[in-house]
Amino acid sequence: MKVEIDSFSGFKIYPSKGKLFVRGDSKVFRFATSKNASLFLQRKNPRKISWTQLYRRMHKKGTTEEVAKRRARKTVKHQRGVVGVDLATLMARRTEGKDVREKARSEAIAKAKEEKKAKEAKKNKPARPAGTHTTGPRVSKQQMKGKGGR
Amino acid sequence: MIGLKAMMNIIDNSGAVLAECVHVLKFKTRHGHARVGDTVVCVVQRARPIPIITGPAGPQTASIQAPKVRKGEVRRAVVVRTKKEEVRPDGSIVRFDDNAAVLIDKKGEMIGTRIGGVVSADLRRRGWGKIASLAPKVI
Repeated sequence: MKVEIDSFSGFKIYPSKGKLFVRGDSKVFRFATSKNASLFLQRKNPRKISWTQLYRRMHKKGTTEEVAKRRARKTVKHQRGVVGVDLATLMARRTEGKDVREKARSEAIAKAKEEKKAKEAKKNKPARPAGTHTTGPRVSKQQMKGKGGR
Repeated sequence: MIGLKAMMNIIDNSGAVLAECVHVLKFKTRHGHARVGDTVVCVVQRARPIPIITGPAGPQTASIQAPKVRKGEVRRAVVVRTKKEEVRPDGSIVRFDDNAAVLIDKKGEMIGTRIGGVVSADLRRRGWGKIASLAPKVI
């Protein structure tokens, strides 16, 4: 059951009530009563007829309640954990502070540098006994594999 | 309520534009008036001009798009829109702004291939589902 609204006055039209008028340009108009239908066909402007919804909306009659309702609604944002980072770690990371983060970053950089150095050292050692450039890298790779590199 | 001498717009692409009702077929209970879904015999009063087919263009223009009906022809038609209100089974009342029909042949097949305009939903109820399905909008 669908309750339609009147095209002229904005009233509700329950099933089996009222009339449906299809104009030449295929536009549909629904009328709840013959009063609405008659006024529409007389080409009256609903904005000037004081008992229609259009008029009331235009002149802001009886709308104070509606406005109040709208203000009450405000969406509240909830913090949620992401996959891989649960809520606790997320909040902890947020409150870490700049110094802690920078420290961690510099530590990570130093660690990476050290690892890189170690890698290079390992690379260079086997390369020397091989001698020639072209075979060098090949030998070192094999040796790396033999040593069970990283 | 289409009766004798009633003018209807033809809304298919058969070439006719206006038709005058000459006889309402069957339906003794209708008392001589046709409603949506009824068949009438009508005379074509105004038709779109049929183009004169010249040599090279021949087979192409004799296509589906060419109007098939001339002025003064007597044809059958199905009423699809009436200015008089129709009462639906759920109690609602529907009224259109004009009277309109679609041309058909004696077997009940449409002469045109397309329908331009709104059509009443009562057609389906009265057995003209084919016409209703061709229409761009059914109310």
